[in-house]
Amino acid sequence: MARPTRSRIAWLIGCAALLLLAVLLSLAVGSRQIAPSEVVQALLHGGTSNDAEVVRSLRVPRTVVGVLAGAALAVAGAVMQGLTRNPIAEPGILGVSQGASAGVVCAIAFFGVHTLGGYVWFAFAGAALAAVAVYAVAAGGHRGASPVKLALAGAAMNAFLASVVSGIATTDARALDEFRFWQVGSISGRGTDVIERIWPFVAAGLLLAALMARGLDALALGDDAARALGHDVARLRVLGAVGATVLTGAAVAAVGPIAFTGLAVPHIARALVGSAHRWVLPVAALLGPVMILFSDVLGRIVFPPSEVPVAVTTALLGVPFLIALVRRRTVAAA
Amino acid sequence: MNRTTAGGTSAAAPTVPAAPTAVRSAVRPAGHAVLRAGRASFLVHRRAAVVATLLAVLLTVAVVAYLCVGESFVSPVQAVDVLLGRPSPDTFVVGTLRLPRLVVGLLAGAAFGVAGALVQTVARNPLASPDVIGVTHGAGAATVAAMSFGLVSHTSLPYVSVGGGLGAALLVYAFAWRRGLNASRFVLVGIGVSIALGSLTQLFLTKGDFLVAQQAKVWLTGSLNSRGYDQAAPLGLVLLVAVPAALWAARAQRGASFDDDTAVALGIRLDRLRLGLTVLGVVLASVATGATGPVDFVALLAPQIARRLTRTAQIPLLSSALTGALVVVVADLLARRLFSPVELPVGVLTAAVGAPYLMWLIARTRGRSGGSTS
Repeated sequence: MARPTRSRIAWLIGCAALLLLAVLLSLAVGSRQIAPSEVVQALLHGGTSNDAEVVRSLRVPRTVVGVLAGAALAVAGAVMQGLTRNPIAEPGILGVSQGASAGVVCAIAFFGVHTLGGYVWFAFAGAALAAVAVYAVAAGGHRGASPVKLALAGAAMNAFLASVVSGIATTDARALDEFRFWQVGSISGRGTDVIERIWPFVAAGLLLAALMARGLDALALGDDAARALGHDVARLRVLGAVGATVLTGAAVAAVGPIAFTGLAVPHIARALVGSAHRWVLPVAALLGPVMILFSDVLGRIVFPPSEVPVAVTTALLGVPFLIALVRRRTVAAA
Repeated sequence: MNRTTAGGTSAAAPTVPAAPTAVRSAVRPAGHAVLRAGRASFLVHRRAAVVATLLAVLLTVAVVAYLCVGESFVSPVQAVDVLLGRPSPDTFVVGTLRLPRLVVGLLAGAAFGVAGALVQTVARNPLASPDVIGVTHGAGAATVAAMSFGLVSHTSLPYVSVGGGLGAALLVYAFAWRRGLNASRFVLVGIGVSIALGSLTQLFLTKGDFLVAQQAKVWLTGSLNSRGYDQAAPLGLVLLVAVPAALWAARAQRGASFDDDTAVALGIRLDRLRLGLTVLGVVLASVATGATGPVDFVALLAPQIARRLTRTAQIPLLSSALTGALVVVVADLLARRLFSPVELPVGVLTAAVGAPYLMWLIARTRGRSGGSTS
């Protein structure tokens, strides 16, 4: 699938332009419509008008959180798909997001941790545990992890953790009140403090993923081929798992569980620029935020004045994608 | 082609005449007894009959325990008195508080058990339970929508949930159909549709007013709390109607459990048979969900437990029903008492047990779980 570098660069630029458009829309559209020119004005020159206040104090943080979470989830999905050689691997479907969110709920309910800086670590731990458990379960038995086994193991993990969370919710009303808004998966109402907390983790995770691009390409050929090409497969797996876990954990700690971004975006990216990870990863990092921001904007305008949480919109947009993917012969036959 | 699914390794197919070493075994399949009533005679799987009897005994014990144990302990003698309608000081606690809830639990458990058995028979896969293929989520989404938008009266909620369950199953079926039905595709599409319906449910939850949302939330985890005869009546009615259907299903199951070529060669109309079994299973699962909310994984667990106990080739329907009822009653008893005075929804408990069990099943399946069914 060799594609001319020029067309790949063109796609990269196109995606960046799309991201810019999404950011602008996210800043301008909402229960208070603000003209794009006003938005630019408010960003560049400040000002004290109501519009400028709304843009700077509400919509800018929300948009930045969306960008960070989108990039993190999409790249996490791409890495998971590469590591497992499995087209439907994704933080949401595999239960990794739910693991992170169960970690956060436990942190709130049992350890009295109430700050994002504190419970982000629990999110990492939960995501890592869930990822390892699901993969171990799916890879057991004879032929290793087929898509159907991975998805089922993920569904079981999701159901299990959901029951744990609702068990905590029914026994601990105070904790429920703290996490019930966060648990839906939404990027609204997240302030600059959230951004300050999670951007180092997202950056670290993205860097780790970027360093692994070649290794992931080699892994796509199979473990033996990767070894023959001089890669340490075990180390690659561990590093990749760490990267995906950090990205998922950080995104979930910030915005709650959001599914399907990590599934759809890497596939779109591969369709655009081929399967080489040094191209897929940056395109995914650009398109992930596009998906989150567009979904969020859509959620703001369908039922005004109330908003649809972004996780609901991404799931409704992403499921047709999953179904189309499954209907292709290769996934179900495996 | 290993169709015996996980664990059923020793299950000797009783429908296939045993090796002709003994003449007697060709007449009477191994492990069966013949019951004669006048001119009619029935083949009864001996082990299955014993298991069903034992399950019934266990269930009786569980029922009595359920009525006795709680905030206040009631002696079994008193509980039986109340059941028989004799005057007793515990009439309120046993007859008004615990009994209606127990009845709903029993009926729902039985319905989930049979539903799971039927769907698993059709899919030939222990993993394809109504929970996994979107039925319960469809029923959930429809019910929560009806609740939050105040569309229908409280009494007609069960019908809404049946509609939702059937609709979701139909949707999954349609999306998974592509020149035949592939079990893996079916399960994957089911998981996807379930996730979409789950997020729709979340959306509806945010739309209704707070009180309704709170109510819906409890319903969604599958709880027997404050369930009574209002919920039990439609459920019981459907189960009653389903009994003759289940008798047909028990026969049809044999046909469905052959591999496709054999079944076609025997002149079995596979498509019609599968459709009938699936519809029956989906209706049962959705009615039960309408009554109790999605009590996760009972439909997955009960048939598997029953089948391991009876060691039959087909999933036994009666034992599945009994196991389902037993699981729900015991789980709800534990859910009431485990963290008392706080009461857990029963669905939390069944999911906490059922999900790891599903994982264990997955870990044990060979890579080609399911395979093509058509």
